[in-house]
Order: sequence, then structure tokens, then C-alpha cells
Amino acid sequence: MPIRVLSEIVAAQIAAGEVVERPASVVKELIENALDAGARTIRVEVEGGGRRLIRITDDGSGIAPDEAEVAFVRHATSKLTTIDDLDNIHTLGFRGEALASIAAVSRVTMLTRVEGQQAGMRLRLEGGSLLERAPVGAAVGTVITVEDLFYNTPARLKFLKAESTERRHIDTIIARYAMAYPNVRFTLSQDGRMTFTTSGNGDLADVLVEALGLEIMRDMIEVVPLPPPRPDLPEIAVWGYTSTPHLNRNTRSHITLFVNGRAIQDTSLTYAVAQAYHTLMPSDRYPIAVVMIQLEPSEVDVNVHPTKAEVRFRSPEAVFGAVQRSVRRAVITRAPVPGLGSGRTPEGAETAPIGMELDQPGMPTSSPAPWRTAAYGPNQTVQPTQLDLDLPDHDAGRYTGQIPPQERPSTPESAPDQVDFSYELPPETRRRSLPPMRVIGQLAAMYILAEGPAALYLVDQHAAHERILYEQFMAAQAAKRPIAQHTLEGITVQLSAAAARLVDEYAEALQSVGFELEPFGGSLFRVQAVPAVLTESDPGEAVVSILSDLERGLRPGESTIEAQIVLRICKAGAVKAGQTLSYQEMVNLMKQLERCEFPRTCPHGRPTMIHIGADQLAKEFGRT
Amino acid sequence: MRVSVLQENLAKGLATAARAVPSRPTMPILANVLLATEDGRLQISGNNLELGITARVGAKVDDDGAITVPARTLLELVNTLPPERVDLEVDERTHTLTVICKGTVTTIKGISAEEFPSVPVADTDTGVEIAAPTFQSMIDQVVFAAARDDNRPVLMGVLVRFNAEHASIVAADGYRMSMRTADLERPVAKPISVVIPARTMAELSKIIGSSTESMYISVAPGRNQIMFFVNQTDVVSQLIDGKFPDVEALIPKASNTRTTLRTTDLLGVCRRAEIFAREANNTMRLKIEPGSGGAGTLLIRSEAQEQGTNEDRIEGLVNGPGLEISFNVRYLIDVLGVMDTEQIVLETNTPANPGLIKPEGRQDFTYVVMPMSTR
Repeated sequence: MPIRVLSEIVAAQIAAGEVVERPASVVKELIENALDAGARTIRVEVEGGGRRLIRITDDGSGIAPDEAEVAFVRHATSKLTTIDDLDNIHTLGFRGEALASIAAVSRVTMLTRVEGQQAGMRLRLEGGSLLERAPVGAAVGTVITVEDLFYNTPARLKFLKAESTERRHIDTIIARYAMAYPNVRFTLSQDGRMTFTTSGNGDLADVLVEALGLEIMRDMIEVVPLPPPRPDLPEIAVWGYTSTPHLNRNTRSHITLFVNGRAIQDTSLTYAVAQAYHTLMPSDRYPIAVVMIQLEPSEVDVNVHPTKAEVRFRSPEAVFGAVQRSVRRAVITRAPVPGLGSGRTPEGAETAPIGMELDQPGMPTSSPAPWRTAAYGPNQTVQPTQLDLDLPDHDAGRYTGQIPPQERPSTPESAPDQVDFSYELPPETRRRSLPPMRVIGQLAAMYILAEGPAALYLVDQHAAHERILYEQFMAAQAAKRPIAQHTLEGITVQLSAAAARLVDEYAEALQSVGFELEPFGGSLFRVQAVPAVLTESDPGEAVVSILSDLERGLRPGESTIEAQIVLRICKAGAVKAGQTLSYQEMVNLMKQLERCEFPRTCPHGRPTMIHIGADQLAKEFGRT
Repeated sequence: MRVSVLQENLAKGLATAARAVPSRPTMPILANVLLATEDGRLQISGNNLELGITARVGAKVDDDGAITVPARTLLELVNTLPPERVDLEVDERTHTLTVICKGTVTTIKGISAEEFPSVPVADTDTGVEIAAPTFQSMIDQVVFAAARDDNRPVLMGVLVRFNAEHASIVAADGYRMSMRTADLERPVAKPISVVIPARTMAELSKIIGSSTESMYISVAPGRNQIMFFVNQTDVVSQLIDGKFPDVEALIPKASNTRTTLRTTDLLGVCRRAEIFAREANNTMRLKIEPGSGGAGTLLIRSEAQEQGTNEDRIEGLVNGPGLEISFNVRYLIDVLGVMDTEQIVLETNTPANPGLIKPEGRQDFTYVVMPMSTR
């Protein structure tokens, strides 16, 4: 086959494929244009999932009559003139490809007028070629109508998903821009029905109520920007909303990230958000979050992806750290006490009542500690069963020590099976992280029943003790002096080029934890000594794990140490389910839990307590 | 197959073969033991594809034959039988083993013997001959130092070398090394140098048991296997492929300070120190203080922030300048537990250089241990 230069039309259609992948990408490009034109109101109408019609109406600056035609030429843009401008991009678009690409694969009508001009201008294009150009009356701004998308590229048309899928993609796109631009009024109507609208009053929370629903928004915590940890790091502002630990999902897709008003995908930053919930959420669950990241345009390169879905940061670690710290801070300090009614939450946490109400949709689907009764359910298998001795299921028995002293003055110390909670923290070290609770008793030798302000609490004794021990061990470990174990023959490890660079950067930190690394040429290192806590693991892996701790802003070795501690607690430390506790022990346990930094989950992220509010009890008893 | 054996012999043979039966078999056949007749004896084999063990017990063979049956089932059954004669009968058609002992009749469903992996037999003529108790003590003094994690598979093995009249076996993880040598009564024709899984060596030591006879070791030419014959038992093991570190280079050539101590004294204080060292990554601090006329003291300290502190002092002979050095107490307990001399020698240079421990007055056992340092 002879080689020929493609005709302009075919070349344009091929190029369009990069930018215009599906109806939603048309919507995205046009919204960006509208936003760059300074629109305050953007109306989007969609028919047939965007295949039949997409119309975007904005009240932006419009396009001057003599420029209108040029706008449809490839690489025509008003947003950029020299390559240096690229380093300081403040607009969403800049490549000058969107309109040309869209026009190449559809029938486009553009109606536009700039302020001060008498008449507007109408342009009609089909498959990229101009059909009509006429002055008409129009409002200030631009209306672009895209019809019969992909009519001339049947292959692309064939690969479009079901109409409902395309509709959903458009919903997502609009919601994202509405979040990024809370001061712009967005309306979306699909097939003549208004499906989404924002007020444009500038409040992100209001947008989120629309986008996520009131139910979910109630369980969202505000993330506020924090100053950088070191003065030499770039200023990175992180804000937005993230869910309380008990509101979670089984995919990461509910974590939405924006960089300088641009929705992006970034696995590492998504991980940073999830990582902020470490030990607060089961490891396979993820929060719902909308996180805005604002930094100097020179700190980020947005020109790495045709649809700008990915960006590159000049210092990714700093951004990672900023996201993680802000979210973590929000989760720890602003998460409301579980199950307390509004107005009763201490420290002015402003969120509405939140709690582990038993019927709440936000409850983790992996239910907390299973009820014992399930084990006694009807046996469906035909295998012979071991018959139970006919004893009451849940009578845990009771030692004299279990009855509150005021009821029967006995000596709780004499109770057998006494667990020693002797590591009690001095009370002044930390303030209460839970409301005051009065222990009522023990249920099924597994749960502690406690009364809090107008609510009943069920505390999983094992999970609660795990949390207490976890925080104590972590604190003790942090206070320990690092010890180095010298290696027998100076093992050489081969690090990745990136890790090798970090070794230099963190030389001091590595040495302070007990590493002795000697450069051996290139990215080879000779390990002369390793921290004694890491002698069980491969020295190469140990170096990498320490480096990743440092990168993530943890103390060096923290992740390994933590894993060991969690294991130790599980194996031996914590009081087991099924162990009868005396009243004194329960009071003591609750007292220590109250002093924990994060008392509501065990180190594995399962809840330590559930709460049943007095109002819920009233409802159940038909008292309302 | 029709065979009669004594219950105690059968139980012993089964227990030996079962050492090679994997606890979580990947193939059903590996959960079984092979029972096969041999002139006047019954062979019992277990195999996990890395290690194969064939034990032999005296038997009265009426009909030859073979079968495999689940190891655990048979072992549990035989252990409960009275110490009497046990008759084993195989129905070749249904692959069923009938075990009859006094009034007990048990049938166990098996799998055809043909499916069982074959086990090569050690060559007692060309192999290396060594006294079983010697080899056993060599294993015991070395095998504990092998690495337990598989970061460097070669260190999970034990380097075994036979050269002319010398035998040496070495194990090392990243932080200590143990080496033991012995003289051979019959020189070997061709030098052997292989890395044997530490697990095999540990099992071998148990199989040698209290045997006082000679044992035979041979490497199948071209095959990645080593075979041992001891105590009427064949042990076949896969070898580990890889280059073992240059162990001779790891032994310090000279020392500044030489401390001679009673083995039991040092072991005692180490055990005490460990109680507190556990919380501090097993760190134990040693302070060697020379006294007058060659006498000296060793001060030992271990400290756990939460629990408390332990200090000990033992007297010994110190030759050279004083020194403070820290070791992982576990590494010392491990080696002191296998020392069979009354006194040991600890040789040290600086707090960052390896320590060397050996039995007093003997040159055939060397233990190198790396120190710890706090900063």
C-alpha cells in the first residue's frame, strides 16, 4: 500500500479521538471553556446520553465575531501565546484542541456575543467544515450545541456504552466541576428533566449536599488547610470534606481529588487519603472524600495527559504529605463522638448527629462483631451434630465482683480471672476523648454495657482493650532508643534508582535508627548494620520500608514496628471475648479507653462500640 | 501383601517416616506413607518432595506387595494398639489395608503404591562413611544458626563439605555463623561441597537418635540430591542451589581480648538477662574487666524500660584490654546450649567487630557473632 499524507479531515478525526472519547468528554471540554470565559452560570442540556444533543449555555465573555471562526481551528487558543506561559497556567484549557476536535466528529452550532457588540454571531459546522456564518441576536455569552456526536466515526459510535452509562458519566463530570467551582451556578437537565443544580453561592458544602446527598453529607467532616511542616516545603493548601470513619465504601472511587480546580486521578494521592484512616477503618474499606489541593501553578505540570486527567507534581512527596496530614488531622480532631446527639458534641464539632445508629446506611456493611446467637442457629447440614447441653445461651454467670459496689459492698479484688490493667496512663496526659460513661454491666461475656449522656453504649471488650494496648505499645516503642545489629558479611542490596536517591536525602534519619549503609557504586549499597527490630526481614526490604515510612511522613520503621505490635496485641495482650470481667475491671477498661487518642476503633479498624440513642429507644418503644 | 510386624517396631518406623510427611500436603498422595516389603523387612516411606525418609523394620513376609495409606490415620491407629503382633494385609484390587492386632480389625483405604514418588537408595560402598554420633553432634552445634526466613534461600541451608580426611559443616544467617569440623576415619575419594536444607539436617539428627554405628552419605551424580543411610533408614534430600558465603573470610584472624568463662556460668546469666533483654530487641551489654594476674570479671546488664534491669557478674580469665560490647542474648544462648566443654573462650576486638566463641582447648568449633550497638 502506498504511503500517503492523510486528508485533513481524517487526521482531525483521529486527533479528536484523543480528546473526545465519549459524550462526557465533550461536556468536560465545553464546561472548561465556559469556566475559562468567566461564566457565573452554566446550563447543560443533554439528550440521548449526549449522543443526540449536548447544549452548554454560559454567561461568560463570549467570542468576538472576527475570532469565532478561528476558534474551531486546531491549536487555536486564547489562553496561551508562548511556551513559557505553560509553566504558569491558570486556565483549565490551553491546548487549543477541544473545539476543533469536537467539531470534527459532530454537527456544532455556536451562538455567541461579547459585551458591547450589537449583534451576536451564529456559526454552523458539520464534520469540521463551516456551513453557515450569520449575525444573529444573542445574549452575552456562548451557547454551543453539539448534535449527532460521532455521526461520521461509526467505529467510535459503536464503542459507546449504554445510554444510561453515558448519562452517568456526564453526571459525574458536572458534579466534579460544580465541586471545584462552588461559586458558579450549574444546572444539568437530561432529556428535559432537571437532574442536578447548584446555587453558585460559593459554599462547597452546599454543592456536596446536591452531589452526594444530605444523608452522606451529614457524616462528612471538613478538612482545613494546614501550614507546611517545614518552611522549605512549598505552600500547599488542602481542604474539602471527608467521611467519618464509619461511613465507608468498598472502592476507592469515592475519593475525588482536585488540583487547582481540576479533577485529577492520582493513585498515590488517593492512597494518601485512605492512609489517613489507618487503623480507623478496616483495611479493605475506603472513605468518601472530596479533596481540593491548591498550589502554585509552577509546582504542577498539567500538560502530561490529553484530557488532563493526570498531573505531575514537582515534589510529589510534599503533596502526599500535605494531603495525608490535613485529612488525618480532620478525621482525628473533627470526627464527632459516635452517637451523640447534636449540640452535645464537645469541642464545637459542628456536624449533625452521627453515630452507629443501628439502621443507618452509613454503617459498615461488614457488620461488627457477630452476635453469638448466629452460632446457635438451625443447622442445615445433614451431618450428625453435637447436641448441646441445654444451658441458657448467654448467661455469662456472675462473680460477686461484677455487681457495682454500691449494690453489694464486696471486694472486687478477690474476683477470679482478674485481668491486670496496670498500665493505666496518668490522667493528666490526655483529655477525655469520649463522653463520661457509667458501666452498667457485661453482656454475653463479650460486651460492656455503659450508659452515656442519653444513650446506651455497647463496647466490645476485646476491641476496646486492643485499642488501649495499641496506643500504649506504640508510645512505649517511640520512647525506645534504637539499637543497631551489625551484619555478618556486609550484605549488598540493590535499590531502585528512586530509593537510592532517597538514601542520600535521608542519610541522617537512616543512621539514627541504626542503619549503616555504604554506597557501593550506582544504586548498590552495602548494609553494615540494620536496626535490631528489623533483623527478621531482608535488609534490602528493610531499607525500602524505612524509606517509604519517611516518605509518608511516619517515623522511620513505624510501619514495621506497628505491624509487630498489632500482632503481639492480638496474640496475647488483649482480653478475649468470652472472658468474664469484674465491675472494677470494666470501669478501669472504660476509663483507659476514654484516654485513648482514638477510642472508637480497634487497630484493625473495626468499631469498639456501638451506640443506641435514647431517642431511638423511644422510637422502638413507640413513645414518640 | 501379607506381613506381620511387632507393634512397637511398626510404631517406631512409622514415626520416623512420618517426619517427611507434610502437614499440609499439596498432593493427596504425599499425605500417605508407602508400605512395601523387602526381603524379611517392611519398608515405610514418607516424602514431601524435598525430603524423603524410608525406615525399615524387621517383619515376617508371607506375600510381597506394596500400598500407600494416610500416614496420620495409620500412625494414630498403631499407637493405640497393644504391644503385640500386627498383621497387615492388602487387598490389591480395592487398595485397602487391613490391620489386625489381637481382637482389633481395621481397614484403611489407600492409594496404589505406583503413584508414590520413588526414593533413591544410598550407596554404602562409594559414599562417605562417618560415625553417626560425630555427625549428629556436628549437626546440633551448627543447624540452629541457619536463617529462618527465605530472603536468601542459601542461608536456610547448611554447608556440608568433605575433603580428603576432613568434614566441616557451617550455617549462618546474616548476623552469626556456626562452624564445626571433624576428622574422617576413611578419606573421601572426591571432595563434596553441598548446601543441605537445615530442616533435613534437624530431622537427620533426630533419626540418628542414639545410634552408635557408622552412617553413609552419598551424592547422586548429576542429581540435585543427597542421600544418607543410618539406623536402617534412608534419608534423601533435595539440595539448595546457590553460592554459600565465603565462611573462612568471616572468621576474625586475631583478637585483642580473650575471655575464658565457665560455660554454665555464662549460660545461666544469659538466661537471666534474656528476661529483660526481650523487651529491648534482645540487647545484652557485656563489660569485660581485666583484673590482676590474668583474672578478670564479666559484667552483664540487660534493661527493659517498662520492667526493670538485670545485672550480673561472673569471674573468669581475661587476657587483654577491657571492653564494652553488646550482643543479641539469643545468639549467645543458642551457642552456649550446644557447647560440650566446661569452659568457653570469647574473643573480641572492638565494640563494632565480630565476637568469636569457641570451646576452651578445642579448635573444631567456631562461632562468630556480630555485636549490636546503640547510638
